[in-house]
Amino acid sequence: MTKTTNDVNALAVGANETRADAKAKAQGREPYAADYYPDGVLWAGAVRPGARQGVAHARLLAIDTAAAAALPGVVKILTAADVPGTNRQGIVHKDMPVLVGDKLRYAGDPVALVIAESREALRQAIGLVVVSLEPLPAVCDPVAAMAEGAVRVHDERADNLLAAAEIRLGEGAQGLDHCDVVVAGSFSTPVQAHGFIETENGVACCAPDGSLTMTISTQAPFRDRMEIAHALGLSFDQIRIVAPCLGGGFGGKDGATVQCLLALAALHSDGRPVKMVWGREENLLAGYRRHSCRVDYRLGANRDGTLEAVHCRLVYDTGAYAHLGGEVMALGMEHAGGPYRIPHVLIEGQCVYTNNPVAGAMRAFGVCQVTFAFEAMIAELARELGIDPLALRRQNALLPGDTNCAGVVVGESTGIADCLDLIAGHPLWLERAAWKDAAPPGTQRGVGLAAVFNAAGYGAKVRDSAIAKVELTGDGQFVVHNAVSDMGQGNAAAFVQIAGHVLQQDAARVSVRQPDTATAYPSGSSSAGRTTFTFGNALIVACEQLKARLINRAGLLLFVDDDSTLTLVPGKIVHQASAREVSLARLAGFLRDEERSCLGEYVAPLCPDPGTGKGFFIGFPHVVFAYGAHLARIEVDLSTGQIRVVDYLAVTDGGQVINPAMYDQQVHGGVAQGLGYALMEDLATRDGQVLAGDFSRYLIPGALDLPEITSVACPGEESRGPFGMKGIGEVAMNGPLPAVANALADGCAIHLRDAPLTPERVLLALESLAEESSQ
Amino acid sequence: MSAWFSPDSIDDALALIERHPDARLIAGGTDLLVRRRSEMSDIPLISLERVAALQGIEEVREDGMLAIGAATRIAELAVSPLLAANAPLLQRAALSFGAPAIRNMASVGGNLCTASPAGDCLPPLHALGAQVELIARAGRRRLPISDFIVGPGRTSLAPGEIVTRVLLPSRDRFAWQAYEKIGRRQSLAISVVSFAALLRLDDEQRIAEAHLAWGSVGPTVVTAPELANWLLGKPLDQSLIDVAAERARAAVCPIDDLRAGADYRRALAGNLLRRFLRRVQHG
Repeated sequence: MTKTTNDVNALAVGANETRADAKAKAQGREPYAADYYPDGVLWAGAVRPGARQGVAHARLLAIDTAAAAALPGVVKILTAADVPGTNRQGIVHKDMPVLVGDKLRYAGDPVALVIAESREALRQAIGLVVVSLEPLPAVCDPVAAMAEGAVRVHDERADNLLAAAEIRLGEGAQGLDHCDVVVAGSFSTPVQAHGFIETENGVACCAPDGSLTMTISTQAPFRDRMEIAHALGLSFDQIRIVAPCLGGGFGGKDGATVQCLLALAALHSDGRPVKMVWGREENLLAGYRRHSCRVDYRLGANRDGTLEAVHCRLVYDTGAYAHLGGEVMALGMEHAGGPYRIPHVLIEGQCVYTNNPVAGAMRAFGVCQVTFAFEAMIAELARELGIDPLALRRQNALLPGDTNCAGVVVGESTGIADCLDLIAGHPLWLERAAWKDAAPPGTQRGVGLAAVFNAAGYGAKVRDSAIAKVELTGDGQFVVHNAVSDMGQGNAAAFVQIAGHVLQQDAARVSVRQPDTATAYPSGSSSAGRTTFTFGNALIVACEQLKARLINRAGLLLFVDDDSTLTLVPGKIVHQASAREVSLARLAGFLRDEERSCLGEYVAPLCPDPGTGKGFFIGFPHVVFAYGAHLARIEVDLSTGQIRVVDYLAVTDGGQVINPAMYDQQVHGGVAQGLGYALMEDLATRDGQVLAGDFSRYLIPGALDLPEITSVACPGEESRGPFGMKGIGEVAMNGPLPAVANALADGCAIHLRDAPLTPERVLLALESLAEESSQ
Repeated sequence: MSAWFSPDSIDDALALIERHPDARLIAGGTDLLVRRRSEMSDIPLISLERVAALQGIEEVREDGMLAIGAATRIAELAVSPLLAANAPLLQRAALSFGAPAIRNMASVGGNLCTASPAGDCLPPLHALGAQVELIARAGRRRLPISDFIVGPGRTSLAPGEIVTRVLLPSRDRFAWQAYEKIGRRQSLAISVVSFAALLRLDDEQRIAEAHLAWGSVGPTVVTAPELANWLLGKPLDQSLIDVAAERARAAVCPIDDLRAGADYRRALAGNLLRRFLRRVQHG
């Protein structure tokens, strides 16, 4: 076997090190929560009668469990009366019952929890629980939900408004009055499912002393303890959460999914372990999803192309419960003016309760909705002004020191202009005219752009901190105690690389332990582009401390007083001058247990309040942003309306790069998920009932639907990030929909305002265009 | 769990059906097992995948037909040299079917018996004039495919009967054969509209013979025989193509569903015919 550099050299930040999880995942050995089947495990599952009875809003009259309870293998059936504590879950707004006791607010609301000896008995028992409902009028349209006298989703909310806020800069909407040109448009975006492979699941066990141990597919193990404790009247320190690698998350496992139900089941299982796994249908019914959005824009500029003013109204449909709806809306609003300088801004946002399934966190958290609209408006403005769309974007692109649309003065690491310049010099852009001319018969080709950005971190008023722990084991190996879940994005591998770099160790000597609230420390959720940024910074502190401690102890052993003459190398510390050394295994033997671990802490930077926002609760504004410029080249089949994305270029400003291959993987994944959002994904409902309830009807792109995606890292550095990096997990998601829509406008002169851009919408638009031009 | 029987001959299979009249027949299971997931069924299953007589593709010497065993995998259709030579459009349909893993399991007989309006093999089998051979204790019978599939999910398969073979008359005189499947993505997608065509021109470039079939635009495959007859003897020019496409739009009777609306399907039915005829026109 040939040795790779990883076998002999210390890991290096910036190098294409092999992902620490690659081998185990390729071999199928990496354990996921779904892989745990303890001996004697029971099965728990929820009864969700709304979907079965075709009702989205209903008074719960009675639950008859007799037939189900009589089924052999059924252990217990619990209802709201069995829930101790508040029976309310939620990350910020605790409005979601663990089990519904009075009324169903959407088709997936659970009314009972069945515990059974086998999965088969569970399935049958769920079908035998008889639930009497009195249907209530349902409100499933967010605009109708805000109307006077609309049906109330929550009795205490007359207007069904979860949140309403505005951002105002300069003269606000009045700024449009003195613009030479104003373009306007109304847009809608679909509901998108996270589509992770591993559905929501976990296993839990309650010990005789009342302590709960839970292995969960979760993005927020530490916060889960608080959420469960609040809902079930427990103390958070009774609850231990273990969070193995996730088979995908994308935001959908941020906040309780199975957690509270499963903890409740464990409390009633007499010390036996109990497992809950949502099927795909349950995932698409009761899992969280991306907010659909209605957006109205007016964008004004001077004749020379200088952006002057923007006014927009955003309506987010949050479904029956809050989850992070208000925060999703806030982040969307913060990005609603694009990565541009605009002096006069009025952004109005509303987040509305309806009887639809629950929307929540998802990659590009509220931002991809507004990016679609804004970038379509910019493209339209370019056509209107007769200015090249790339030049118009470049002319208005934020530069370090500029004020963005939320009133925040952006820092040194603001690379959108550089990203656009890299597009401008790329062959896919330069050779676009010839490429378009070469369209095969029956097709038309177009090229579209999008300039995007995405904030990193939780935003104001939410403490964004991490506590990292690194340990030297008794045999001289290093273990990073990860505290922020790895949902596949590769943060754990990045932590190994960072630790190896600081401690000068090779891949074989550094491993990672996935989050466990019993051995790691609260470090927030794996989300918001903050995972590697915040935890990585804390980890550097921990590793440097441990390194200093080891050098000091080696100096004692080797009788060396000058630290600078001692070098930490893979497996040992060396004194070059005397050619003496001490192995880390030996050194570990001299250390007491508590000395072999170091903790490092970090708190992410906060933004001073720019005084531009009104009505925000938390999460506004942000201070660190990743930027991106995207280019899509598409070919439209004029007979069918099908769009084939032929080439895709994504230039990303993520500061310095920790690992180029993992960086590209994040961009590829974001673009792929973004193209799904652009072309086909639509978790539509009718009267609150999910229509595309499985993966044969809810389509996500496959390999044949995706182009070669070229990822280019724009050089830059965010001085506050670990090794100069910024999180890029979300920014790539924002580009595809506007880039493809703009390519469609470029190639076919049709301007689709409703996403996804299905063949049907394309063909019907082509036909009406043909009719118009023949008249 | 339900009982599973795996006979290795047609006789054994027929005997099992007699003993378990409530049983369902299964070959690849790619439709049936998905349905059982939600229906919690414990109906016994009789698997036909080990019955050798139901496997394979061969020429039937006496009447010059191609015979495809009902349990033959779609993947086998996709690579069969006999089909490549005689029915390339069926081969193209096989290659558009699901994805490789599904093609390795699903059978042509299953696609027939599921009788979905969107069944990928059905438009080519209609255009090819396929016959379906059935066997029961009482004996064998043959039906044209249009008599076999009578509605969405409905066939004329009688209780106690098994589909044994699909028989294809020779169509090698058709220089033009086409199959197109339009779905919401490039693989693993149920068709929004599919289209199969066989066409032959005479020496003066007039249409001598045509068979057309559309899937997913009606309760069963739409073959529009009036339209095919109307084309006969006409020179293939632009105005003919335009009228034919218009007539195709009128001939289909699609519905709105989650995959697409009826208007789009109607437009597509016309456009796919137009694209095919244009290709023929330009030789």
